[in-house]
Amino acid sequence: MVANRSFNLGRLFIYGCLLAFALFYLAPLYVMLTTSFKDIEEIRSGNLLALPQDPTLYAWIKAWSSACTGSECQGLAPFFMNSVKIVVPAVILSTVIGALNGYVLSKWRFRGSDLMFGMLLFGCFIPFQVILLPMARLLAELGLANTVTGLVLVHVIYGVAFTTLFFRNFYVSVPTELVKAAQLDGASFFQIFRHIFLPVSLPIFTVTIIWQFTQIWNDFLFGVVYSGPGTQPITVALNNLVNTSMGGKEYNVDMAAAVIAALPTLLVYIFAGKYFVRGLTAGAVKG
Amino acid sequence: MGSLLIDNVTKSFGETDILKGINIDIQDGEFLILVGPSGCGKSTLMNIIAGLEDATSGTLELAGKDVTLASPKDRDIAMVFQSYALYPTMNVARNISFGLEMRKVPKEERDRIVNEVAKLLQIDHLLDRKPSQLSGGQRQRVAMGRALARSPRVFLFDEPLSNLDAKLRVEMRTEIKKLHKRLGTTIVYVTHDQIEAMTLADRIAVMKDGIVQQLGTPDEIYNNPANMFVAGFMGSPPMNFIEVDIKEGQAVVESAGETHHLKLPCAEAIAAKGLDRVVLGIRPEMITEPKPAPEDQDWLHSMKLDFDVVEPMGADTMAIGQWNGIDVHSRLSPKAGMTAGAGTEVQVNTAKAVAFDIQTGERIC
Repeated sequence: MVANRSFNLGRLFIYGCLLAFALFYLAPLYVMLTTSFKDIEEIRSGNLLALPQDPTLYAWIKAWSSACTGSECQGLAPFFMNSVKIVVPAVILSTVIGALNGYVLSKWRFRGSDLMFGMLLFGCFIPFQVILLPMARLLAELGLANTVTGLVLVHVIYGVAFTTLFFRNFYVSVPTELVKAAQLDGASFFQIFRHIFLPVSLPIFTVTIIWQFTQIWNDFLFGVVYSGPGTQPITVALNNLVNTSMGGKEYNVDMAAAVIAALPTLLVYIFAGKYFVRGLTAGAVKG
Repeated sequence: MGSLLIDNVTKSFGETDILKGINIDIQDGEFLILVGPSGCGKSTLMNIIAGLEDATSGTLELAGKDVTLASPKDRDIAMVFQSYALYPTMNVARNISFGLEMRKVPKEERDRIVNEVAKLLQIDHLLDRKPSQLSGGQRQRVAMGRALARSPRVFLFDEPLSNLDAKLRVEMRTEIKKLHKRLGTTIVYVTHDQIEAMTLADRIAVMKDGIVQQLGTPDEIYNNPANMFVAGFMGSPPMNFIEVDIKEGQAVVESAGETHHLKLPCAEAIAAKGLDRVVLGIRPEMITEPKPAPEDQDWLHSMKLDFDVVEPMGADTMAIGQWNGIDVHSRLSPKAGMTAGAGTEVQVNTAKAVAFDIQTGERIC
């Protein structure tokens, strides 16, 4: 009975800790959500942690469609679309290039391919700040400064190092004899990729897409440096929105805007998170 | 139509020479086995035949046509891999038909061939399954089916049975032999199992260190080995090697405290070389319990042997004694009821005894 009781106490302690940490981490989100549904009067007078007494969508509607971000007052909607226009092609391109790179670097080794992989890996460790100026120069030369295309290019280049690493390490665990067998069966380079590699790649595609989506959607630095007035991503717009004050500070609008900006990555994690974890460990226990 | 000529093929990786000039002429319909210890280059040679690796020098002719530089798909060669290499996401039927699909064979034709091959290999009830749902033996059959479907000029088998358990291996061995009889297609088969080599091959190429040590029929390889390596590699337990003095053309052997002079069939060749010490090679089955051997009457010697160990194996009994202080294996009939102990009477038949040069290991005669 003694053992049993200490076991229960241990359990209690563990769950207690987990609960405390969960509350600690969820508190800001709670404050954001509750504040976003309050009106400005209630925020000024009420308790920060109290639930909204008279919930309203005013702040959400304003943040989405009419809040001022600098001199413009169209809300976050256009910038949300900018982010979508940047993220979708950048994620697709960097993932596809990474998949092909990984396929070549794991199964079609050539003289110097390991060196090349090493150099690509190096790309994962270069801090963003280091390349800001040279990249700005390059974009200007290419006539892509302040354009969505330019931002897509930057994100693809930066992303390829990571996506290549993911795919290469995943494809290394696919037996090379499959490639040989398919070659003898008459399949070409791309046919082997399509018929043999793509069908086993779902886990690693999930991981890579989630990873790239999160990275690019949440990026602020590249967004603020390389975008023009009409091409700013939502992270930059959020920053401008919060820093633009016309009269009093509207915390409820700020909070609603922050949640809107974070929502896509949040949803991706909620719906695809388990595949993410599964994909990360898929290479380790391949049956 | 499926003859294969390997002409002076070499392969080097940087400084390391894996193959040092391989010459093998394989006849149409022949079953050739490449055998040798791991690292001897047999798998590399196989990959070169398949076109998966390029030869450093030398040429390869398939059906009289130079294919040295042809890509794998243009060689019309099919291969069965040691790991089977079945496509994990495709079912059995698609695994078998994939090569046909890549070669743009129409759907109805593909289905017909898949059914035919599946029937032949008795896997027609498995066509919808994925490779992960199959047993080892079934996977093996599917791998063979995939090779068969394309009816290629040459089949390559890369240690196809080494992942199967002992019983299944014997079964599949017989099936491969039957299949070869039935189809008559040229087969090149890599193995390190000398029993597979002996039972399946029309001819065997014994390889070591990137060189073909000997190329011949199983009978030639077994009874007329070119050197000590071949003699030691083929046969289980391997041939006994005993260093002996040669006196008046006879091998001097000391066994159980007595000295015996064994008459050798190749006394003249030894004398011609002026050697007075050689390595005597004698197969275990030539040392037996006393029994009549009328055709070898002149080559029989009887002597006493001290058996340290006796290992009954069912059909035979292996017994180990010593000659000149070196272990000799003998293969006895279990009926003789031999037990370990000193001074057992045995009969030595030297009709097929061979002698090797001590320095080079090459066969003298």
